[in-house]
Amino acid sequence: MASRWANDEADKAEDARRKKEKEEKKRQKLAKQQAEQEAAAARAAAEREQASRPAKRRRLSASPEKEGGASGVSGEAKVLRFEAGSWGPCRHINNFETLNHIEEGSYGWVSRAKEIGTSEIVALKKVKMDYVNDGFPITALREIAMLQKARHKNIVDLKEVVVGDSLDEVVLVMEFIEHDLKTLQEDMAEPFLASEVKTLLRQLVSGVDFLHQNHIMHRDLKTSNILLNNRGALKLADFGMARFIPPPNAPLTQLVVTLWYRAPELLLGTTTYSTEVDMWSVGCIFGELLLKEPLLPGKNEVDELAKIFALCGLPDEKSWPGFYRLPNAKSLRLPRDTRGPKPGPVIRTKFPLLTNKGVELLTELLSMNPEGRPTAGDMLNHAYFTESPKPKPPEMFPTFPSKAGQERRRKRSPNAPQRGDAPGMGGAEIDFSGIFAGREEEQKGAGFMLKMG
Amino acid sequence: MQASPLANFQATVEQLETSGSQLDGIPVDLEESIRFAGARLTQAAGVLLRLPQEVIAQAIILFTRFWIGPEGGSLAEFGAAHISAGSLYLAAKLSAFPKSARSIVNVYAFLDTIPSTYADLEQLWRENNPEEYYVSPGTYERRRSTLFNMEKQILKVLGFQLQVTLPYTLAITYLQALSAFDDPGATDLAKRTFAHLNSALLSPQLLLLTHQPPTLATAAIYLAAKETNVKLPGVDWWTIFDTDREELGFLVVGLLSVETFATAEKAKWADRKVPLTVEEVNAEMDRRQSENAGE
Repeated sequence: MASRWANDEADKAEDARRKKEKEEKKRQKLAKQQAEQEAAAARAAAEREQASRPAKRRRLSASPEKEGGASGVSGEAKVLRFEAGSWGPCRHINNFETLNHIEEGSYGWVSRAKEIGTSEIVALKKVKMDYVNDGFPITALREIAMLQKARHKNIVDLKEVVVGDSLDEVVLVMEFIEHDLKTLQEDMAEPFLASEVKTLLRQLVSGVDFLHQNHIMHRDLKTSNILLNNRGALKLADFGMARFIPPPNAPLTQLVVTLWYRAPELLLGTTTYSTEVDMWSVGCIFGELLLKEPLLPGKNEVDELAKIFALCGLPDEKSWPGFYRLPNAKSLRLPRDTRGPKPGPVIRTKFPLLTNKGVELLTELLSMNPEGRPTAGDMLNHAYFTESPKPKPPEMFPTFPSKAGQERRRKRSPNAPQRGDAPGMGGAEIDFSGIFAGREEEQKGAGFMLKMG
Repeated sequence: MQASPLANFQATVEQLETSGSQLDGIPVDLEESIRFAGARLTQAAGVLLRLPQEVIAQAIILFTRFWIGPEGGSLAEFGAAHISAGSLYLAAKLSAFPKSARSIVNVYAFLDTIPSTYADLEQLWRENNPEEYYVSPGTYERRRSTLFNMEKQILKVLGFQLQVTLPYTLAITYLQALSAFDDPGATDLAKRTFAHLNSALLSPQLLLLTHQPPTLATAAIYLAAKETNVKLPGVDWWTIFDTDREELGFLVVGLLSVETFATAEKAKWADRKVPLTVEEVNAEMDRRQSENAGE
C-alpha cells in the first residue's frame, strides 16, 4: 500500500506553493541580514561619535532598517532585553514524509519522518484524540507546554506542532533519536559497563534535576521513555504524564507512573506527593541499567508492593512516619515478627558487583519513605559519580544499530496507567506475611553464586 | 535555550501591520471595537466563573493574539464571543482551575442576554430573568461542539504557543524592592498598580503583546505611585527594572489612554451591541454600507 503521505496530484500544487514560500523566506532572510549588518555598522558609527542619544523604544512599524538601538545601550544605563520569540500558525503535516513506524504507545503513535524541505530526519508523534468530552486532550496540551518550557540537552527537543487537513490530526515534531534504553538493553549481550551506567545515570539525573527546578514532575520515568542517540547523549521523552507541581496539599491522581517504576507511596494511594516519585523511578532505572532487566517487574499492584518489600525491607512507623495513615496501608497485613530486627534491604546482595558508594546511592533512592530519597540536585553531587571508575565520556559510547531507524519494536512492556483505571488495592485485605518465608537461606548464600551447567 | 521568566511572546512587526480581519475588508475601527468588547467579555466571563485574574489575563492575551497578523483569525470567519469562550476554556484547562464546557457555555449564554455591550449592570441585576439564559440540552450539545472547535482553531492559529508571562507578580516583587510596602498608602498603591495592569489587557495598542512584563510592571507602578502620592526614590529607579525613560513615558501615556478609548467606545456604541458573532459583523458592515450610500 502506498504511504498515506505519498504525493498525489493535489500535493504538487501545494509543493509549488511551498517552494515559492521558501524562496520568499530566503529572500527576506537575506534582506534582514543585510539590514542587520547596516544597523550594526550604524551602531558602531554612533558609538564612535559617542553620541549619548537615548535608546529607542521597540519599533512597531516595519521599515527597511531593522531596530538597531533597541538592544540596549542608552546614554546613562544598560537596560536588559530578553528575547522571547513569537508565534505563528501550525504548518501542515504534508511538510513531512513518513519513513517508518517506531512505536505505538499509550498516548499516540510515533514514527520516523523526513522534513521534505530540509531533508532533516525527525520523529513524529501523533496525538490520540481520546476523551473528546473534554475537548482537546489535556495530557497532550500539558506535554506540549512542558516540552516548550523544558529546553535542556537531556530532554528531547520539540521542534513544532503540525496539523493535518482535519484539526483532529495533531502531530508533535521532535528530534529523532536512534534508541530507547529499553530496546537497546534487550538487544545487548552484556549489561552496560559501570562507567557507562554512570554516564547514563548522570545525564538522566541532570534532565530530571532541570525538570524539578522548573517545577515539573515527569511522573512516567522508565527505560522505554529514555532515549539515547548514537553520540551517547541521553534524552528524556514522553511527557504525557508530566505536570507542574501544584500548590502544597492539592490532591493529585495516584494513577501515574508505569507500575514497575511506581513509588510505594503511590501504590499505597497517597494523593499528595511531589518530585520524590521521580527519584524512586530513577532508582528503579539505576537498578535496571546494572541488571540489564527490570528491577521490580510486578504483575499487579499487590505483586509490585511485595517485590518492593522483598528488596527494600518493610516500612514501619520509625523509618516512614505516617506510613500507616496512607489510604491503602490499612488493608495490608504485614508480618509482625517482634522478636528480631525487621528484615532490612537486600540491595547489597542483589548487586554484588556494585561499589559501596553505588549501593549507598541506590539504597537512598529506593528509600520507602519519600523524605529519605535524595533530590536530583543532591544526587548529582554524590560521591558515586566521582569515584573510580569515572563516568565514560558520552563521545566514547559504543554505537548500536538503530531499531527505531529500521524496524518495529517487538516486546511489550506495561504502559502508564490510563484514566479510569481503578485505583487502590481492590479493597480486600492483602497478606504480606509470607513474603520473607524463604529469605533465611537466600541471605546465607549471598556474595557470590556458582553457576551450574 | 529556555525562555526567560521575564519575557513574554511578542507580536512581530509584520503581525502588527495588518490582520486577517483587515485583509477580509473589516474596517480597523470596527476591529478595535470588537477586540476591546471581546476582551471585556472574557474578563466578565472569567469573573463569573470565579477564575483567578491570572487565568483571565492569560485568556485575554490568547484572545488578542488570535486576531493579530495576516495569518491570524479573521472576524469574517470567527465570532469574537466564540473565540473568547475558547480562550477562556483553554486557559482554565491548563491552569489549576479547569472549568467544564457546561459552565463556559452557561456563562456565555448569560452574558449574551445583556441587551447592550455597555449596559448599566446595576439595573441588569434587578431585571435578572433566568429563563432568558437557560441552555437546553440540544443547544448545549451544539454550543459545546462549537466551543471544542474554537479551541482547536485557537491552538492552530497560535501554533500551540500558549505560554504567557504576566507582569502581576513581578510588580509585587518590584514594589518590595522599592520598599514601597513600608508606606501607609502601600495597599492603595498595589491596588492601583494591578488596576493599571488590568487595563493594559484591554489596550487597543496591544500593550501586552508589544511590551515585556518588566517594563509593564514598572510603568504601572510609576503611574500608581503618582496617583496615590506614594513617594518612590528620587532617582531614575526604573532603570533598575530594565526600563528606560522613553519606554516608561510611552507606556504611561498608553496606560492612561485606555480610559479615553473606553469612554469613546461607550459613547460610540451607546445602547447598541458590539457585534461579537460573524452574523452580527456582517450586519454591521451592511449597515455601514447603506449609511454611506444614503449620504
